Amino acid sequence: MRKTFGALSLLFILGILLLIANPNYGLKFGLGGEDWQKYRYTDQYYIDHGIEETGGTNIVTDIVFDYRGYDTLGEATVLFTSIAGAVALLRKWREENEE
Amino acid sequence: MKSDMGLIVKTMARATIPLIGIFGAYVVSHGHLTPGGGFQGGATIAGAGILFLIAFGIDEAKKRINKSLYSALEGLGGLVFLGAAMLGLSVVFFYNTLWHNGPVFDGKPGTLLSAGYLPIMNLAVGLKVYTGLMSAVFAIALFRRWRK
Amino acid sequence: MIPLQFVTAFLMVFMGIYAFLYKRNLIKLILALNLIDAGIHLLLISLGYRLENGILPTAPIYTGYETLKGTPMVGPIPQALVLTSIVIGVCVLSLAMALTINAYRHYRTLDVNKLRRLRG
Repeated sequence: MRKTFGALSLLFILGILLLIANPNYGLKFGLGGEDWQKYRYTDQYYIDHGIEETGGTNIVTDIVFDYRGYDTLGEATVLFTSIAGAVALLRKWREENEE
Repeated sequence: MKSDMGLIVKTMARATIPLIGIFGAYVVSHGHLTPGGGFQGGATIAGAGILFLIAFGIDEAKKRINKSLYSALEGLGGLVFLGAAMLGLSVVFFYNTLWHNGPVFDGKPGTLLSAGYLPIMNLAVGLKVYTGLMSAVFAIALFRRWRK
Repeated sequence: MIPLQFVTAFLMVFMGIYAFLYKRNLIKLILALNLIDAGIHLLLISLGYRLENGILPTAPIYTGYETLKGTPMVGPIPQALVLTSIVIGVCVLSLAMALTINAYRHYRTLDVNKLRRLRG
């Protein structure tokens, strides 16, 4: 029962993934020309104006630290919290002295 | 229990750890010019530290590396990042005020001293990631007390 | 014709889901989590690719920046957001490893079924 349910769900997930991956009616791969200007105008704006507005020649760094700085701030908070949690979990415990 | 590796691994680690560290420092400091940035360079330097840890053993690494200092430096990196974000607070949070009218980081685009607060943030994030990964790996490596 | 990047990304996600359904070791479950993470990152990066006819796009970095002005470039937003996501993946990995080490210390096993049954 459990095995057949697992196999059926795996087949179902595989079908959904194949349906999504097909570029005819799923995710489009490699936009270009008119489609790029229509759907990806934000990327084109960053590529065109990134140097004048922030000064870095690496556009990815410009986006990470300047345009989307709040994302990086949240990421730094997540990093700090998870490292603090890991260090606090692996500390010496109180019951260990009594054993 | 002996926790370090053999002679060949130790010699190769002595040869390669400074090179990995220099490459990581290059990636961090040129983060606004070439591929890379704070996180990638910090992870590279942390790779050098982890190589030191597994080649020379936990006893040697405990003598050389101060764990609480690393935990303090991680908080310092986060605070420097936040302070660099607050430099342009007179206009808006995360405003790049050093670019176009700052005293220091106002060079031509493509040179090392340009791009406003981006190099400061790269250094801060690199320091934070390096110390954070090193302290996490140290906490995992030091946790063997239940076996004696 | 499905592109090769999508095939690889969905294969990685599928392998991760298979390991979630059929494996019982905690370390293997953490590896499956990271495999799904890497597959999603590959999918997002490949969504930012750009196909102009005849011209190969370059990475969004102006190293010699006057000569590269106007050439087609790959979209930079998916790369930046995936960079954030990679950091969070490392955080989740370290926290999950700490929890696993603590569970092994208490129960002396990594099997999920025995782990639940041992002390209630």
